[in-house]
Amino acid sequence: MNLRSVLIAVLVTLPLVAVFLRGMRSDPRFVPPAIPGQPAPDFALVRMPMAADEEPSDTIRLADYRGKVVVLNFWASWCVPCRVEHPELVAVAREYRDRDVVFLGILYKDQPGNARAWLNEMGGEVYPTLLDPGSRTAIDYGLTGVPETVIVDPSGTVAFKRIGIVNREMLVREIEPLLAEVVRP
Amino acid sequence: MSTVSSGGRRIGLVVGLVVVLCGFAYLLYGGIGENLVYFVTPTELLDKGEAAYDAPVRLGGQVAPGTVRWDAEALDLRFAITDGENTIQVHSTGAPPQMFRDGIGVIVEGRYTRDGVFESTNLMVKHSNEYRPPAEGHPPSEMYRSLIREGES
Amino acid sequence: MISTLGFGTIAVALALSVYGAVAAVVGVRTRRPELVQSASVAAYVNFALLAIANLAMVYALVVHDFSVSYVAQVGSRATPLFITIISLWSALEGSILFWGLVLAAYTASAVYLHRNHPGPLVPYATATMLVVGAFFYMLLIGPANPFEPVWPVPADGPGPNPLLQNHILMAVHPPLLYLGYVGMTVPFAFAIGALLSGELDATWIRMTRRWTVTAWIFLSLAIVAGMWWSYEVLGWAGYWAWDPVENASFMPWLTATAFLHSVMVQERREMLRVWNLSLIVSTFLLTILGTFLTRSGIVQSVHAFTQGTIGYYFIGFIAVGLVFSLILLTGRGTELRSAGNLDSPLSRETVFLFNNLILTAFTFTVLLGTLYPILAEALRGVKVSVGAPFYNKMTLPLCMALLFLLGVGPALPWRRAEPDVLRRKFVIPGIALLVVAGASLALGLRQPYGILAFGFAAFTLCATLGEFAEGARARMRAHGESPLVALGRLIGANRRRYGGYIAHLGVISMAVGIAASSTFQKVRDVTLKPGESVRAGAYDVRFDQLWAQNEPHRFVVGADLTVLAEGKEIGRLAPRLNFYGDRDEPITTPAVRTRPHADLYINLMAFERDGSSATFQVIIEPMVVWIWIGGGIIGLGGFIAVLPGRRRRREAAVVTDPVAAGKGGDV
Repeated sequence: MNLRSVLIAVLVTLPLVAVFLRGMRSDPRFVPPAIPGQPAPDFALVRMPMAADEEPSDTIRLADYRGKVVVLNFWASWCVPCRVEHPELVAVAREYRDRDVVFLGILYKDQPGNARAWLNEMGGEVYPTLLDPGSRTAIDYGLTGVPETVIVDPSGTVAFKRIGIVNREMLVREIEPLLAEVVRP
Repeated sequence: MSTVSSGGRRIGLVVGLVVVLCGFAYLLYGGIGENLVYFVTPTELLDKGEAAYDAPVRLGGQVAPGTVRWDAEALDLRFAITDGENTIQVHSTGAPPQMFRDGIGVIVEGRYTRDGVFESTNLMVKHSNEYRPPAEGHPPSEMYRSLIREGES
Repeated sequence: MISTLGFGTIAVALALSVYGAVAAVVGVRTRRPELVQSASVAAYVNFALLAIANLAMVYALVVHDFSVSYVAQVGSRATPLFITIISLWSALEGSILFWGLVLAAYTASAVYLHRNHPGPLVPYATATMLVVGAFFYMLLIGPANPFEPVWPVPADGPGPNPLLQNHILMAVHPPLLYLGYVGMTVPFAFAIGALLSGELDATWIRMTRRWTVTAWIFLSLAIVAGMWWSYEVLGWAGYWAWDPVENASFMPWLTATAFLHSVMVQERREMLRVWNLSLIVSTFLLTILGTFLTRSGIVQSVHAFTQGTIGYYFIGFIAVGLVFSLILLTGRGTELRSAGNLDSPLSRETVFLFNNLILTAFTFTVLLGTLYPILAEALRGVKVSVGAPFYNKMTLPLCMALLFLLGVGPALPWRRAEPDVLRRKFVIPGIALLVVAGASLALGLRQPYGILAFGFAAFTLCATLGEFAEGARARMRAHGESPLVALGRLIGANRRRYGGYIAHLGVISMAVGIAASSTFQKVRDVTLKPGESVRAGAYDVRFDQLWAQNEPHRFVVGADLTVLAEGKEIGRLAPRLNFYGDRDEPITTPAVRTRPHADLYINLMAFERDGSSATFQVIIEPMVVWIWIGGGIIGLGGFIAVLPGRRRRREAAVVTDPVAAGKGGDV
């Protein structure tokens, strides 16, 4: 082994590695969602009851939460990755319970019965989940699959959208600066 | 064969190889430049101004709800693609895939013409393979139930 | 339970691989054969471990044990048993697990079959294979762990990707591909062994020839099976789209093909040592690059698997492999100088050089086209894709040149061709070229590449058949054999050579199929009401009715079509749309009527809910079946070339390397 060949080897390899590493940071299948920087599409959805015999009652509107940070998590009980991220979402929801952050789950192509059972298995309902019949809201938000998470800032604008799993670190990083925008009365 | 002539031949060979390689690299470079297809959103396409017209691109976005016009007799399909900010009319000949519908993510390949219509030569529906929902309100088996043949389940 | 078992066996395999690699190298350096021996044992045990892990996964899939993450991801109670079993390789983690098994099998058998070869070459090769294995086992316990326990256990899973469920070829294509890809590890490991041990003569090439050809056969068959699958399933009546995944399997095939030819020059003339080492190193790295491109989600592709952190592991592995190989290749310097020299430009070795030059240029073109989108995004921040016209424009001339050389090479002797030999061998092929090219022109073909392809195919076919005829005639004269017996014995006596020529015939068949189907394809979209028909080539196709049907794992909407020729019914076709797991996006299943002269290919594109009309795409695709037949012939030729023959054994006993011959290590 001599210095010259080491040098050649490294000089050939480095640019290639750099390009690949750069390439890994972007998603080639990304179709720009109709979203970031846009006003978040409003919705009026019923809350999924946690008892089977209970009639769905409260309707929740996104507009009701103007002035707060809203975290929307699209999920389904048949979605394996959702299991992974759920505890993280719950943890962050608990952490921000007393601040101006609202967590909402939106069920995607799933039966409420299955979803209830799933939530119970995962430790019970911590924040409400909304039913989205016909996936209208999912379409409005340009959903490509589950899980996806959207964060809406206090002015009602989409600040963040993530296709795939979110974790605590990511959520906190996005939520914190938005909380600074919240004007306390 | 003496070493000198062998060395001379070697140099000749190397020079020849380099020339061939350079020529080939030049061809490659030219070839790839002419055949690149850029991937853009409606907003990005409109931002290009003059340059937007007649260049081959892939346009990605969602089918704007309520814009799909499909003439089965003439095999003529018109719809609009939106990224939420801007919308572009798309025209395509040939049948749309059965799954084609409002709100679905699509990528169309073609050229933006001066009539303000995107002439598509290829239409791809973007489906995500990772996440598969098992059931929804109207599964295909229910929607197309009337087609099920007599005497079969 | 299965999670623990699976994870445990892989973890042990990882530990054993690392141990074995270190033991082999230390054993050779310190001359302790028992250490080297223990490395071989590690390779055998690894095979058993990976077999257990794979069986455990198949078991988990079959019994629907959704507590295993991979089963939760691809399993479903509604999926038929057979598809459940093959879903072992239908998604990322499972495919890496299967890959690990194939690699362990190759490693164990290579180590076993070459165990008696003296010297440090085999131990170094063993260490290399074990290191490659360690990388894959690391993936399996890290980012691509298929045995992750899932809690709470889901009641059912989503089932495998519908595209993969839709056709039997998906059962065939991936294993073939892995057998091909992974098989290249063996010659690569021996090349690295040769570089590390300094045994730089052709020994390693002779030892690995059968491994290389075997892997090459699998890779060739895998590519053709992939083309066929794409044709039968994707519904666009094409078989090659220069998709990154296709390119990923094609690039190592190109370099491996170049290698198969150029090693003959080294064996005969002691030339091209560095070149051969570089080619096999490139082949191996291209298989890893291909896996990276398809598994990391870095490129856009119809077939790409999910993304995750696994890409970073591959980048690391490619970087290490590239740096290590380059240091070895450039560090050897003068030792690798060629011993031989070119005598005449008109000789077989010159043709091999051109063949290699063209195949390398081909590889570069495909590599550039595949990587360009990544480069453009990294350097300029734009999203681009490289269109098929780029590949076609760049590679068609190369294909034509290769097709021509395919006829020239076998006819030329080694070292120097005399003018009268040339005249004798090329008169008939030359006439065939002119006649066929002229006929295509007369029949109205105007695409230059089409004319060239048919002309060169005729030329090469005549030249290759001429080789068979000449050899057989010589035998008939010398031994008084009948023509068929003479031909059979001719092939049997020199399997490597004539097996190669048979593979060439397969390539010609493919070339003709590709040229015909791409120049004469006719596509037509039409909407029909029941009872109406449409003209398609020599046929009329009548739409009878639309139907739907519930199957256990899918819902099917199909159309009954009757094919008529001159008013008489000659067949029925039923293109379908399959809806899996109640997704509302169907998977097209075209109906194909295959005949030697042309395929009739029909897609059901769309339909009215009440069955009052349906839209079809009707395609006439000439001679496409010859592509698949050609693929089969290529495989057959390769198979003949790897069969051990009487003649070869005798040859090995006399030829050069006393070590390999004496020990029978040349397997």
